[in-house]
Amino acid sequence: MYETFELLNALALMSNFVFVPALSYGSQLALGALGITLVFGILRFANFAHGDLMAFGTMVVVLVTYWLQAQGIGIDPLPTALLALPIGIVVAVAASLAIDRTVFRFYRRRRAAPVIFVVASVGVMYVLNGVTRFIIGPDDQRFADGERFLINARDFKEMTGLAEGVTIKLSQGVTVVVAIAVVAALFWFLQRTRTGKAMRAYSDNEDLALLSGINPDRVVAVTWIIAAVLATIAGTLYGLDKSFKPFTYFQLILPMFAAAIVGGIGQPVGAIVGGYIVAFSEVMVTYAYKKALAYLGPGGWEPEGLMQILSTEYKFAVSFIILVIVLLVRPTGIFRGKVIT
Amino acid sequence: MKKLLLASSMLALSATGLSGAAQAEVKLGIILGFTGPIESVTPGMADSAELAMKEVSDSGKLLGGETVSSVRADSTCVDSAAATAGAERLVTSDGVAAIVGADCSGVTGAIANNVTIPKGVVMVSPSATSPALSALDDNGYFFRTAPSDARQGQVLADIMKDRGFTSAAVTYTNNDYGKGLADAFQSSFEAAGGKVTTSVAHEDGKADYSAEVGTLAASGGDLLAVFGYVDQGGRGIIQSSLDTGAFDTFLVGDGMSSEALVETFGSSIDGSFGTLPGNESEGAAKFLEFAKANGVDGDGAFRPESYDAAALILLAMQAAGSTDSAAVKDKIMEVANAPGEPILPGELAKGLEILANGGDIDYVGATAVELIGPGEAAGSYRELLVEGGAFTTVQIR
Amino acid sequence: MSIGNLSPLGMRTLGAYIGMALLLILIGFLQSWSVALVLVNLCLISAIMALGVNIQWGYAGLFSAGTVGFAALGGLAGVLISEAPIPEAWSAGGFNVLMSAAVLAVLIAAIFVIFAVMAPGRARKIVLTLTVLVGYFVVRQFFDAGTDAIEAVDPALTGFLGGLNLPIILSWPVGGLLAALVAWGIGKIALGLRADYLAIATLGIGEIVIAVIKNEEWLARGVKNVSGLDRPVPKEIALQEADWFLGWVEWIHSSALQGVSGDARLDMLRGFAQYDAGIAVKLCYAVLFTAVLVCLFVLAQKALNSPWGRMMRAIRDNEVAAEAMGKDVTKRHLQTFILGSAVIGIAGAMLTTLDGQFTPGTYNPLRYTFLIWVMVIVGGSGNNHGSVIGGFLIWFAWVQAEPAGAFVLDLLTAGLAEDNPVREHLLDAAAHMRPLLMGLVLLLAMRFSPKGILPEPVRADR
Repeated sequence: MYETFELLNALALMSNFVFVPALSYGSQLALGALGITLVFGILRFANFAHGDLMAFGTMVVVLVTYWLQAQGIGIDPLPTALLALPIGIVVAVAASLAIDRTVFRFYRRRRAAPVIFVVASVGVMYVLNGVTRFIIGPDDQRFADGERFLINARDFKEMTGLAEGVTIKLSQGVTVVVAIAVVAALFWFLQRTRTGKAMRAYSDNEDLALLSGINPDRVVAVTWIIAAVLATIAGTLYGLDKSFKPFTYFQLILPMFAAAIVGGIGQPVGAIVGGYIVAFSEVMVTYAYKKALAYLGPGGWEPEGLMQILSTEYKFAVSFIILVIVLLVRPTGIFRGKVIT
Repeated sequence: MKKLLLASSMLALSATGLSGAAQAEVKLGIILGFTGPIESVTPGMADSAELAMKEVSDSGKLLGGETVSSVRADSTCVDSAAATAGAERLVTSDGVAAIVGADCSGVTGAIANNVTIPKGVVMVSPSATSPALSALDDNGYFFRTAPSDARQGQVLADIMKDRGFTSAAVTYTNNDYGKGLADAFQSSFEAAGGKVTTSVAHEDGKADYSAEVGTLAASGGDLLAVFGYVDQGGRGIIQSSLDTGAFDTFLVGDGMSSEALVETFGSSIDGSFGTLPGNESEGAAKFLEFAKANGVDGDGAFRPESYDAAALILLAMQAAGSTDSAAVKDKIMEVANAPGEPILPGELAKGLEILANGGDIDYVGATAVELIGPGEAAGSYRELLVEGGAFTTVQIR
Repeated sequence: MSIGNLSPLGMRTLGAYIGMALLLILIGFLQSWSVALVLVNLCLISAIMALGVNIQWGYAGLFSAGTVGFAALGGLAGVLISEAPIPEAWSAGGFNVLMSAAVLAVLIAAIFVIFAVMAPGRARKIVLTLTVLVGYFVVRQFFDAGTDAIEAVDPALTGFLGGLNLPIILSWPVGGLLAALVAWGIGKIALGLRADYLAIATLGIGEIVIAVIKNEEWLARGVKNVSGLDRPVPKEIALQEADWFLGWVEWIHSSALQGVSGDARLDMLRGFAQYDAGIAVKLCYAVLFTAVLVCLFVLAQKALNSPWGRMMRAIRDNEVAAEAMGKDVTKRHLQTFILGSAVIGIAGAMLTTLDGQFTPGTYNPLRYTFLIWVMVIVGGSGNNHGSVIGGFLIWFAWVQAEPAGAFVLDLLTAGLAEDNPVREHLLDAAAHMRPLLMGLVLLLAMRFSPKGILPEPVRADR
């Protein structure tokens, strides 16, 4: 009996600090990586501006949320931000189409080298970053409202009698549910609709697709629309779960790129799997297993050190390490992405 | 050959360079991070320093009726090169007599080493708290009205001991302030027999601190000591700790002890405690009142210290009978410390008067200024306790 | 060579240099010569960084987003070379750190042995993984014990191993070497794959280098900064006290000092000496930096005009054709990537030398990666003169943007009341105009002036 309790305690502890946070973080990364992988697959360049597009879309959602809150409109217990999301999406879509029109189309027509697109996307990144900060400022914005917890640590302890609590925040629940819905919709779109099929064909072989009468402008436009939708949703979920701060979104590009490359560039399924791989590795590699091992080990025993593989300061380095390992071992990614030369 | 080249170009350059030497009014430079990580704090600091300048100008008693004006420059808080360029402009182009600043310890060191010490200009920092600056080879030109973090670490450890806590997990914002304070706290606390279970850095400006909190929770401890900023990572750490049930009692440093903390978390952090420089003295209250009467909000981080920094410089000028930094630097300690008539905020005119008549003053100011050793504040701290979702002052240390 | 013989591009280059010089002289008259010299010194360093990026981008078309990391590595060299060693720290944790290094070396050797001895397959993978895991924990064992002990040695003032106590000027080449070494590792992994991968990999390595420098306090005090570094030029204070220098000052200012005597004369002399000492020190730096810039420039120019440079351009302009001609593209790319990174590392070390302190918190990608990129693209990629001019001009704009931006916004909103929320918001947000403006400048330059101020010369070989 004692052993079972210890085991359950260890499980609760790990769920609280590893599984639950990693699952919601992974969902957010997966949505971001999906956008990156689509742009990479169809437009054939690494879009550095994706993180700041997330920030831009989320900013609109935050502002609309504030307005709705001021009007007293809400959907308690769910966060008001879900109501504001469509408006944010519309603005982000308009912005990304405008950016394509003013920046990227020029280089596409000239058939410029991919690296030119990358440099241009870095320029776009800074402009978007500046616009976002200019409008909403560099500070933290907290826009989550409604119920905070699905399960709260204290209640969980009372309910189960365990020493360790498990917290599941409402935002984490919302994140996972929305992510599943969005991914399902995207796959249906890519597999079943004419436009979706056209996009896959274009991604596989541009010339062949053009020969078979696919309208490239339409494919490009739809790609940007989907990327903006995914970015806004991912950004809003991330902001709800944590908090909105323009600069953090810039730092999300590295894990998102890692996720896209690990899964295989241009592979939607890969991006999702990659997202979870990166998220779980980040959390598990930097978690201190001291307490969990103490539960699992003989009674009264406790490990000397923290039992941590990598200190939390290097959390973000994990995605880079994964990236390097994949580049060295299997450059095409898990799901055999685009031919990478 | 090199010497000759040097000499001839110097001749050409310095012929025009000293045109601003004779100034009609006294100019003070204010170099603070108006952009960058602490941009939300600095405007209030500059306003407070300018408040003291205005007070002195209006009194008409400084050096027989000189007026004081301020020139601002941006230290950026992090970019030493830009800060040095800004300070250089203040000293050589605007011809300031002394400088209030800088703010962050890193740029303060750069400005002191590259501009103010070589140029022999007095600089009084209201907010650079790094213990490393005590060791600056400053020829007596550098002062600060904020106490070194070494002192605060000691006070925090004392409070822990008095309250009967024997172990703590520590997290600090990953810069010289956070790390310096965490080190100071750890060594004082361990010397007093306490145990720091782990010391984890957190980066400001990240959205997610669950990994850091996970590590802190795994290490355990009676409470969590957070040495960061309330509008930055510090808040995220506390939020995440409360959410996951990892800690519910916190020890906070001066970057966290603000109304914003209790506004955010309310009674859920009851029993937490912390320190804030300053005291409940007459001076602090008087400063708030005086600032308010002049349309300045004096309630904020390092604002009283900024007022005191500017006031000290101006009083020392009066005592020296000159705006020349070489003379002023020797008078700063004198006007700041006893013996003499105590001078509170809003009473600068009185202080100037006494000094003009050859008397002696002890500038108390808004923060009970008392300079020690290498020209830094001895530092008194308020011990704050969160009760019923609000701060109460337990005692002065 | 007379001016009459200059090509249009040559005239343009000359014009750009003269224009830049006039701008700086203007600052000398408007603000002060001291400020102008501070600007010149930083412009020189920026120009060297831009030269490094130009070698990567302009010569070879490599996009590296990790400039900030290489600059930081250069700065680190400044500390490691010039600081005095800390014997207490060495005795406290030196052994353990050295042991961890030794174990690491053994581990790497073991990995090579496993690769050499065992046949590929599942068994090798398992053995390899186990070796790495066990090795990692053994290394950590020694390493953690050592670094904890080192960081506990007087943490407020030292708490690190110190350096080699050599003249700091040596850190310039060493900084370049350090950067080159890291660039070699990155290049080995990321070059030869799709071009974008280098950008992503360097973005990561840039962040990681800075994270390591910030968090490994035993190495260079991390975020606690190292200040008061050694200087390659005399200290201002020392000059002010040196008789020979005072003699000069007296001679230079003899007309101003005429007819003044006693204390007034001494005071005046002291004032002149303080100002002149600042100028003299800055001039010394300017001479040193100019020497480095000229050397690197001449080398870069020679390389560009050599058969090697011709080959690089051929590869950049048509990789497939160059490969078909039997050129080893990956190897050439690696070469230029390392060379460029080394130049950036040198500039990083010079910057730390000029600041007199090493502050890891300073390194942010906007300032050290992106800004340098704008310099190269605006100046003219592929043209070394262009990079130098771009470095000067953009740094100048970056520093002067602060007063100018505030001035413009103030002017724009002058019609609004002092406490108008729009006006307040705009003035507060003025600082965020920098990334916005620099982003726009980059995009506009790429679109409408892709060749930059000084375009790459049209060569006979193209």
